[in-house]
Amino acid sequence: MRNLLQFILKYHVLILFILFEIFSITLLVTTGSYHEAKFYQAGQRISNSFSYKLENIRDYLSLYKENKRLAAENNRLYNLLKSSYKIAYVDSAFRGDTISSRYYKYISARVLNNSVNRKFNYITLDKGRNHGIEPEMGIICDEGIVGMVKSVSDNFCVALSLLNPKFGVSAKIGSSGFYGPLSWKETSTDKALLEDIPQHVSIIIGDTILTSGFGSIFPEDCIIGVISDYKLKGGNYYEITVKLSTEFQRLNHVQVIKNEFRQEIITLEQTAEDE
Amino acid sequence: MNKQLRMNKGPVIIILQFIVLLFLQLLLFNNIQFSGFINPYVYVLFFLLLPFTFSRALLLFLGLAGGLVMDLFMGTPGVHAAATVLVAYIRPAVLELIAPHDGYEANTLPRISYMGLEWFIKYTVIIVFAHHLTLFYLEVFSFSHFFHTLLKVILSSVFSIAFIILSQFLVFRK
Repeated sequence: MRNLLQFILKYHVLILFILFEIFSITLLVTTGSYHEAKFYQAGQRISNSFSYKLENIRDYLSLYKENKRLAAENNRLYNLLKSSYKIAYVDSAFRGDTISSRYYKYISARVLNNSVNRKFNYITLDKGRNHGIEPEMGIICDEGIVGMVKSVSDNFCVALSLLNPKFGVSAKIGSSGFYGPLSWKETSTDKALLEDIPQHVSIIIGDTILTSGFGSIFPEDCIIGVISDYKLKGGNYYEITVKLSTEFQRLNHVQVIKNEFRQEIITLEQTAEDE
Repeated sequence: MNKQLRMNKGPVIIILQFIVLLFLQLLLFNNIQFSGFINPYVYVLFFLLLPFTFSRALLLFLGLAGGLVMDLFMGTPGVHAAATVLVAYIRPAVLELIAPHDGYEANTLPRISYMGLEWFIKYTVIIVFAHHLTLFYLEVFSFSHFFHTLLKVILSSVFSIAFIILSQFLVFRK
């Protein structure tokens, strides 16, 4: 016993060091994604008020750029207005109830905190449960898709950035419509990988990559990026490198997408599987 | 400032230094995201500035506490703590390694004004590089992008070291 005590006294620094390192690394390894998001929120809550002030300044400084973007966005939306189209067949089917035909609803939000250089990147937004945000809602901005809501508090939410290995989305090639899973290419802040595209599909560099609409998180045909490179992987499938169209470094205003029928679709899919 | 005063104010100054560096890190240096390669972690300066005669055990406790606070704010459980505990552990050895011939004089601090620029650069380079190396590899937690991570470590270290040495001239000038 005395020897043990002497040993501990003699090597107490080394023992403390090893204990502390084991503690830290255990924390790192055992913290699951849920806790990670919770942990992140705990810290965020403290620094959110700061981020708000900082964000206000940043907003002000980027007004010029933001105005130009809004003008472009307005222009695009004007072009989508019904009045911009000539309706040829007035006698075709018409559903009078606009509420029931609304599929996606957009909630505008501001980015409070955002990282691009970690392995797991998260985005904090200034909208939460009180504004109708729920987990697993998609997030886009006018440039392209951004991520997916992960956890929600009353006034804020934390989202998985597309630049996070835990985020995945079903994507398709614009010209041919072939789809596959898309996820972040971890060595780059502006690239993603689209996999499982069969060998016989012809691939053109510069072709657009869009969301497929599967998973009912994103609407169909939201832009993700353009093909910048591709190679055959395992002989039968292409692995396509996609240059993301969203500039994550200067993300500011985003739209959170609520799918009004998501719950219905999921329930239906589950019943089909159970039967 | 006489010696008595410095002794009493020591802990307060250390805590203040920590808070200032925490905010600088969160508000300024975390926003430097140049192409994803350069992420300086300048808060290591806190461990560089601690007095020479600091108990090794206490240093380790500070390392753990400081790292955990950083983790809490950055949302990276355990990553910063592991790196700062390592820094706290190797600091005494590093100090011994680069000690001047006649050792460290009493009542001096690890500052450029006392130890000279060359000594301070050596000291900063070793500690910052050890910290960044641990930090970035733990963050990725695999060797799959080994050279990509290594490049990140080197570029970020260069920036951190530059900021730290620059800050010494700005804050502790005579």
